[in-house]
Amino acid sequence: MNFEWTTEQRALRDRVRTLLARELPPDWEHISRHGPGSPAQTAFSLDFCPKLAAEGLLVPHWPVSHGGRGAPAWEHFILGEELFAAGEPRGPQYMNVNFIGATLMKYGTPQQQARYLPGMAAGRAVWCQGFSEPSAGSDLASLATRAIQREDEYLINGSKVWTSYAGMAQTCFLLARTGAGKGGIAIFLVPMDTPGITVRAIPSLIGHGDIHEVFFDDVVVPATARLGAEGQAWAIIGYALSLERVGLARYAFSRRVLDRMVCELQARGRFVDTHVRTQAAQALAACEAARLLVYRVVDERARGLPPSAVSNVARVAVVKADHAVSDFALAYFGDALSGDGWPLVQAHHERAIAAGIASGAAEIQLNLVAQAWLQLPREPLPERT
Amino acid sequence: MNLEFNPDQLALLDAVERIASAHDARSVLGANHFEYSTSLQTDLDAAGIFEAAAVEELGAVAAVAMIHRLAMLPQCVELVAAALVLPLLAPDLARPCAVFWGRRDGPARWSPGARTALCVRGDIVETAMLTDADVANLDSPFGYPVGRLIEPDALSWRRLDLDAAELRRLWRLGVAIELTGCLGAALHAVVAHVRDRRQFGRPLGAFQAVQHRLAAAAVQVEAGRWLALQAAHSGCDADAACALAHAQECTPAITYDLHQFMGAMGLTLEHPLHRWTTRAKMLRADMGGAHAQQLVLAAAVWGLEVTA
Repeated sequence: MNFEWTTEQRALRDRVRTLLARELPPDWEHISRHGPGSPAQTAFSLDFCPKLAAEGLLVPHWPVSHGGRGAPAWEHFILGEELFAAGEPRGPQYMNVNFIGATLMKYGTPQQQARYLPGMAAGRAVWCQGFSEPSAGSDLASLATRAIQREDEYLINGSKVWTSYAGMAQTCFLLARTGAGKGGIAIFLVPMDTPGITVRAIPSLIGHGDIHEVFFDDVVVPATARLGAEGQAWAIIGYALSLERVGLARYAFSRRVLDRMVCELQARGRFVDTHVRTQAAQALAACEAARLLVYRVVDERARGLPPSAVSNVARVAVVKADHAVSDFALAYFGDALSGDGWPLVQAHHERAIAAGIASGAAEIQLNLVAQAWLQLPREPLPERT
Repeated sequence: MNLEFNPDQLALLDAVERIASAHDARSVLGANHFEYSTSLQTDLDAAGIFEAAAVEELGAVAAVAMIHRLAMLPQCVELVAAALVLPLLAPDLARPCAVFWGRRDGPARWSPGARTALCVRGDIVETAMLTDADVANLDSPFGYPVGRLIEPDALSWRRLDLDAAELRRLWRLGVAIELTGCLGAALHAVVAHVRDRRQFGRPLGAFQAVQHRLAAAAVQVEAGRWLALQAAHSGCDADAACALAHAQECTPAITYDLHQFMGAMGLTLEHPLHRWTTRAKMLRADMGGAHAQQLVLAAAVWGLEVTA
């Protein structure tokens, strides 16, 4: 058992930090004020990610055939940890490199791979996930957006909601119903400029222009836009989510914000107060707990073990860490959250609000921990009407 | 970064598991607050596993994993001094060893039956040999033997040339993992109960209200285990303080929930739940409790000296 980084891994961190110091502009905290899905940060990612790609730091874990160099899981993770700590200058493109790309590599046709992977590897692709619907949130399998096959094309009607990044996305990773039940769902790779798609930003507590409604009115896509077979969607989603949950380094941003707040409290002479110190340490312990549990997930992946419920355990801990730091900020930097206060703390505050909701509710994670980790019986579901 | 135990550590933990599971299977517990198992102690001594921390290939990581497993037994033996403090700092002292923090005349767990006392006051560490006649048993609600030295100043104390800060670090680490093991075992016991116990036509564990609280406890316990393993590997005081702060901070809510789900069965001495929760309640206050560890952690990470 070894918790230390190798010389190569430390060198990679240094390299990423040097690149960030060079490439992030002086007003980066303002640009990243509203998070990875904001128009400002998304636009920045389209300038920043090609530079990462040029340095071989965007998709190093991808196989050589798709523009990577087959780098080990830890290398990809260290990269993500450093970038997330910095406020995620990859914007929404973190999704591409973490799981959409790998999912296309596993389930996509050669034509789909040729169409989409080069753009991701070059840092020019923005995707959104068409998952949640007005009546299908945590209960995703109840989604109602319908795709009806007509010879070699599909006619799609329905709507998606809470969709991050949709305002600037070029492509949607869309779930739609082709039949009944979980087996009646298919995935479509849909260009967002397809006629019949309407995107409307939803004013929200998080970000500016981050979450959206997306309407599909008689949208026609070719059958070749379907990812995998009809009925295979649930397995594909499971695969994608298992990758999404590897290395969720949100705690790294929380820890950075915490350190900055402590620094400021020291400058103001307030950090001599034992109450302040214990609260800061409590938040720090939450970040450390999350960090180690996320490392457990990455370690599993690095050793080639199958995904386990430890990823759900880690996600719960990550949410707790976000909230611990956010609570500390509210207690001692409430003034900085208004107006032109402190953009770094403002950004963390907004992200923490969504921490337990985005990418699947924390309560669903607790269900999975209870059932898969503790082997408790599933709560009986009511009959669907 | 590689979170797998090495082959030597795995071999040691296999040996620990064989002993632990054999004792777990044949445990017959009386209606008492704790069951000090001399036969478990004998088996562990005979296997020589308490020396692990001082063996290079095994180290504190193996010792911490060993404490974790043994703390999950319903029977108890002294673990922190035996597996961490003595092998690394004072291998010549006799076991069992009771540690008195700050004063010689305070209560200390494991002092009944102890053959050695350690007293830590500031930077000074002293030791004295003990016999049963030197210690008065105390009636205690906690799942450990607790006693007090009858005439502490009449004992022959000698000062040890030993780093008190290092002793504190090892103690924090050991208590952190013992506490985590106790919480983990208590959680297992309650999970097994709510799987079987049916109310309102289904197992208690099929209610989300129960599941979520147990799952949240499981997350904290798993975090505690990894915080302690990291602290064992790093040898860093901040990591040990972090591990103990975390474990002590989460103990009250977890022990409350576990007893709630066990209901009146958990109030009896017949059910083993109390063997872990009452230990946890004592360990929760060790070394000044979570508040004190948080101050140590804050000082180590962000500066400003404090005295523990």
